[in-house]
Amino acid sequence: MRSFRFPFGAAAGCILALAVLAGAWLAQHPIERQKSTLTLWTFAPTHYEAYKEAVPSFEKANPGVKVDLQLVSGPAVTSRLQAAFWSDLDVPDLVEVPIDFAGTFFRGRLENVGFADLTERIEQAGLMQRMVSSRFSPYMSRGRIFGLPHDVHPVMMAYRRDIFEKEGIDADSIKTWDDFIRVGRKLTVPGKRYMLELFDTRDAHLASCLFQRGGGYFTPEGECILDNEISVQTMLWYVPLVAGKDKISNNLGAGQVLTKAVEDGYFVCLLAPDWRTKTFETTIPRVAGKMALMPLPAVEPDGRRTSTWGGTMLGITKSSPDQDLAWKFALHLYLDQQELGERFRGTNIMPALRSAWDQPAFHEPRPYWNQQPIGAMFAKLAPQVPFQYTSPFITTAKAKLGEALVACVQYYNASGDKGFEAFTRARLKKSADELRTLIRRNPY
Amino acid sequence: MTTRPNSSSSTHSLHSSRGYHLQQKMAPYLFISPFLLLFAVFGVWPIVKSLVLSMYATSGPKDSVFVGTQNYRYLLADADFHTAVKNTVVFAFWSVVLQLPLALGLAMLLSRRWVRGRNLFRLAVFSPYLVGQVFVGVLFSVLFIPQYGLLNQGLHATVGLPLDTKWLADPALVMPALVLTALWLYTGLHMIYLLAALQAVERELYEAAQVDGANATQQFWAVTVPAIRPTLIYVLIMSTIGSFQLFELPYIMLNNTPGPNNSGLTIVMYLYQTGFVTGDLGYASAVGWTLALGVLLISLVQLRLTGAWKAREA
Repeated sequence: MRSFRFPFGAAAGCILALAVLAGAWLAQHPIERQKSTLTLWTFAPTHYEAYKEAVPSFEKANPGVKVDLQLVSGPAVTSRLQAAFWSDLDVPDLVEVPIDFAGTFFRGRLENVGFADLTERIEQAGLMQRMVSSRFSPYMSRGRIFGLPHDVHPVMMAYRRDIFEKEGIDADSIKTWDDFIRVGRKLTVPGKRYMLELFDTRDAHLASCLFQRGGGYFTPEGECILDNEISVQTMLWYVPLVAGKDKISNNLGAGQVLTKAVEDGYFVCLLAPDWRTKTFETTIPRVAGKMALMPLPAVEPDGRRTSTWGGTMLGITKSSPDQDLAWKFALHLYLDQQELGERFRGTNIMPALRSAWDQPAFHEPRPYWNQQPIGAMFAKLAPQVPFQYTSPFITTAKAKLGEALVACVQYYNASGDKGFEAFTRARLKKSADELRTLIRRNPY
Repeated sequence: MTTRPNSSSSTHSLHSSRGYHLQQKMAPYLFISPFLLLFAVFGVWPIVKSLVLSMYATSGPKDSVFVGTQNYRYLLADADFHTAVKNTVVFAFWSVVLQLPLALGLAMLLSRRWVRGRNLFRLAVFSPYLVGQVFVGVLFSVLFIPQYGLLNQGLHATVGLPLDTKWLADPALVMPALVLTALWLYTGLHMIYLLAALQAVERELYEAAQVDGANATQQFWAVTVPAIRPTLIYVLIMSTIGSFQLFELPYIMLNNTPGPNNSGLTIVMYLYQTGFVTGDLGYASAVGWTLALGVLLISLVQLRLTGAWKAREA
């Protein structure tokens, strides 16, 4: 009997045999699918912690359902979700997306958008009436709604109450931005103390001011309005606050440097959407009791006393095998009033559901804010939160507005008022035209 | 009894011989086939696919419209792409101009026998590269903090620089900050290459040069530089290619943004933004191909200017 010899030697034969065996074993023992029935990605640690509390009651009410909550890093959530949509692999059932990126997922044909169209479900549940309607607009594309608003994010003005008192300033007397700037000129000491923290290189604060005036990046139809009269006037007003000899604002960045700056009284006032008040509470604890909130100064007397900054949508993906269950979970997270009250205590975030604002949690005095009932204060302003519209080109629009801001700041620092209006108009038009060219390339 | 040759045995032997030759011929192909297969699937196919993709306007893989060379034509008029190219070229220029001489100087210093603790210094200079770009990016973000950052505190105390100088928020200062960070990160790596090359230079060459009366500068230009030229060219080209692929440092240091007024936008960052944030993979592919061709062109020019081809022919 002839013995069999592998042609390329025993070692190669062993490797081949091992490969065949391993392959066969894997084929016989496929990786078990996750046992959870619903997967939710969120990018905000505060949301994650809050949802952990809400999951058990949902699982109890729906026997056999297991929810897998995943905290995905903020910058990664969009690229990871984009990749998941494209490859159709590892797509979560529900996902929270930051407002600044939501529009980028609405690119392409409507039928190919990765999120399920929630328009009918929202209408049937009457959510447009029960929630703050302006908060749906950033999550709409071509008349369809792809996400539920997690929040309202009205903006107030946080200020160092102790410094105001020491300087003899009555916060209630500040009704308009003109009043605010007048006080700012008094309080600002260049290089040592500034009235307000405002960005001079990024669009975020400028955008809040734009929204307050009824402006924005896009019309509801997705047309660019970066160079309309509201934008021009807002830029002409904003830049002298952050540039030139008489500026009353500055910015140093976020994190520890901001903590130190607020503690030192380098910044007297800061724009404070609801979510940021919790950031202040946790990252600047030393000024507890010394801080207070006031409504945002109005552009004109009796004008809107708030704006908006930030936001989150909750979307259900088309890949979800049980979209009805996902919708049920979404409503559990966003409509359970008692849960929302508890969540407000932990996050300070105003939910979009109006009826939740009556919960006791929203009326509790907060020691950090000098015993102010900040929930009730935000709730009073929430209905005034302006509309903002999005587009698949929202990230580019933000970048273009930021570029225009930097150019205007540089011009103002170099030349002051001389020719500033003409320059601002031209620069905003340049940014808008670049964006329009990009939009025109979109074949969908 | 005579024995006849066994016909079946001879046939078997003939077959074995043929089989052996076949095996001999096939064996190399069989051994390299796993690599070839993997390279074809993960190398060649994506390259071909990206070239095809660059001719489409896309929104993910499901929505794509053939646009021919429109993506490439749009690149020529795209202000953001121009900014990215300008920033990348400026970064590459300053990286090469600063890193290489500094690395060579350090390599020459730390190759001297009289330097005490030179192994420790070599490790110290090389160590930034060990920790990686992300760590270095985070570290320098903290150093560059205005008002309270170590760099501003130091410069304020020594040269009176304003404390609130915003290295990462002032369009004019972003690039110097990135170049400075890259200098700290990569000089050690280049130094290691050059150190190895310097140690391979024969001592006799220096002795002969000394006998001929050459001073230190003449020895450097007549002996050291020609001897380490292949390594210098390698470091120059790799440094240039690496600079053109810059992504992590600005991404980390500028907090996932291209910086104020796109002052930290590099070509690869723009590619990433276009492809994975905006979702236009077709345009991103066109950016990628343009970058690849650009880097190839620059490398060829460098090879030509440094005379590397002539050396090879010789």
